[in-house]
Amino acid sequence: MMRKIDISEKISNTAYIPIAIIAAILMVIPVYILFMTSFAVPSDILKPHPDFFITRFTLDHWKNVFTSGNIWPPFKKSFVVATMTTIIAIIIAAPAAYVIARMPSKIKYAVVLSLFFTRMFPDVGIALPIAVQFIKLNLMDTYLGLVMAHLIVNLPFAAWILVGTFETIPKDLEEAALVDGTSKLTALMRIIMPIALPGIAVTAIFVWLNSWNEFTYALYLTISDRTLPLQTYYYVQRGGIFDSATYAAVLTIPVMLVTFFLQKYMKSGYLAGAVKG
Amino acid sequence: MKKFYTKLIAVLIIISLLGTVIAGCGSKTQSEARKKVLKVSMGLGEAEWKVMKEDIFPPFEQKYGVKIEPLQIEAGDLIKKLDAMHKANAMDIDIITQDNMQLAPLVAKGLVEDLSQYRDMIPKEVIPSLVPVGEFDGKLYFMPYRPNVEIAFYNEDKFNEYGLKLPTNWDELLQVAKTFKEKEGIGRVIIKENLGPDSTVQMFDLIRSAGGDPTVLNDEGSIKAFTFLKELQPYLSPDSKKADWNTPVEYLAKDSVYLVENWPYTANVLVEQYGKKNILAYHGWAGPVKESHVLGGEVIGIPTGAPNKEMAIKFMEYLMSKEVQEKLVTKLGWPSMRSDAYGKVAEWQKPYFEAINEALKHAEPRPNLVYWADVDKAINGALREIIFEGKDIKTTLDKYHNMIEEAKKAAESK
Repeated sequence: MMRKIDISEKISNTAYIPIAIIAAILMVIPVYILFMTSFAVPSDILKPHPDFFITRFTLDHWKNVFTSGNIWPPFKKSFVVATMTTIIAIIIAAPAAYVIARMPSKIKYAVVLSLFFTRMFPDVGIALPIAVQFIKLNLMDTYLGLVMAHLIVNLPFAAWILVGTFETIPKDLEEAALVDGTSKLTALMRIIMPIALPGIAVTAIFVWLNSWNEFTYALYLTISDRTLPLQTYYYVQRGGIFDSATYAAVLTIPVMLVTFFLQKYMKSGYLAGAVKG
Repeated sequence: MKKFYTKLIAVLIIISLLGTVIAGCGSKTQSEARKKVLKVSMGLGEAEWKVMKEDIFPPFEQKYGVKIEPLQIEAGDLIKKLDAMHKANAMDIDIITQDNMQLAPLVAKGLVEDLSQYRDMIPKEVIPSLVPVGEFDGKLYFMPYRPNVEIAFYNEDKFNEYGLKLPTNWDELLQVAKTFKEKEGIGRVIIKENLGPDSTVQMFDLIRSAGGDPTVLNDEGSIKAFTFLKELQPYLSPDSKKADWNTPVEYLAKDSVYLVENWPYTANVLVEQYGKKNILAYHGWAGPVKESHVLGGEVIGIPTGAPNKEMAIKFMEYLMSKEVQEKLVTKLGWPSMRSDAYGKVAEWQKPYFEAINEALKHAEPRPNLVYWADVDKAINGALREIIFEGKDIKTTLDKYHNMIEEAKKAAESK
């Protein structure tokens, strides 16, 4: 038994680095091609076998995109919607997750399952009835409509991640604070929330990125003021290779920035499942 | 205390009544303001929108004192959006131009108005075959707007290099495909086989040019078409499986494909954006019975419950006018729905225009079937099983013929 464990440990230790490198390369290559195309001279790309590394660079495609006047309104709409969705999701999900985390195991399990029940239906299937209700409420082409639609998608996941976070915080800490005379609310705000901050940050990243990239609801709830993913989709459908690549690169940059600056909070523990028994 | 509550209730009733009056007035004002706006949905590229906004819309806006609000909506997305607005009883689009290959769902879902009473607005100079495209069960739901047809784009340098002639029939097409494969070790001819709407169009052309009916699918012409495609398959470009209406531009631009049928917009992108002047076009090839091309393009429709229907009708007539059609021909190089609208086109566009007009002579509209989605599935199912999985042609086509027949019966029983 010991020997078996040794062998599997050795294999995993040896294979870990090559697998990690291969996985990283597979993930980075499409992003590299995207950026490379957006900076490439057309003749270097428009040939049967384009070079993997380009030697000539041009800013023309970026200039075209930024001077067209078509990028800032969608950028602003996506940014505002993603940020508002994130703030509201955290404000609602954090206290809810705290309460769920403190429930007895069996009830907690049922509540978490019910949270996921709302996510069992594919967005494509429920987008139409939701859009119909939103249109009836005059939420077509509004920031509020999109924020509410994105909350439908993100709240259950945000709550699930945060339940895992709150579970890792010992109840004793809270009880000690209560013994010292603090109210429950103060204990939650002053003791529990600061400890849960990394988990909240991870949840915020997750929600922001989901909302920033969201497409289906934006498609149904937008007729004139497009979000950035819809604008990118337009250029993929109607524009050339270089416009498409540049818009897609613009869409990717905030994702990279957010991930880069908040990656220190990304530890596997914070994404652990909610029901650990 | 009782008095206080009585007063409170009275005040609340007065406030709510006042609110209703104000809201009513507001709603009336809002409705009047909406009549000054015409929301027009089209699926266009940037250059095409520029022409619309600078040359087409302003004269209409000035004449009728209305503000046109252009909405960029792709054909497939338009169905979803109209469906949502229709179900919410809050239609906010006044007029649409829609890909004529995506009309059946709009009619089946009741998303467009019956325009039969406006049939007289169709100009007498219209190309006659364009009118039936908008008819369903004898009613006219869509007006003709612009025809479109796939033409064959080819790499002139490569044809010259190998001393090849442009194929005009199936035998010559097979020979050209074989030569490219032999000379370069890889197929350079594309027949679209992406198992989507694009391969459906391609199969329509092949089956009809062999005398078959794609909505029957197991007749002699259909068998001939699939037999020919099976023979041609080893010499086709591997990109055939990925080819849609969009990718051929890239393949031609990169010189990875030398012959492919695609929509005429290809010429504008290749020549104007990529400077590929060696990519020319001609009308294409015939089958054993005739030459046939699916008649594509766009038609005009008015969504059910359009808030500014009166103005939409005027705009519909304006879009079909000689004035507008001439501008669309000269400024965008679009083929016209009118025979009297062919103005002067740029020199470089002329060969492409000749190809389009020649192909239009052999253009046939697709039938407007409510069970169109099933026909589409059947054609692509047969394509997958016969070409990719090597199954028997007759047996497979019989199977998919039955599938279409069942869909037809189901549609008729509704």
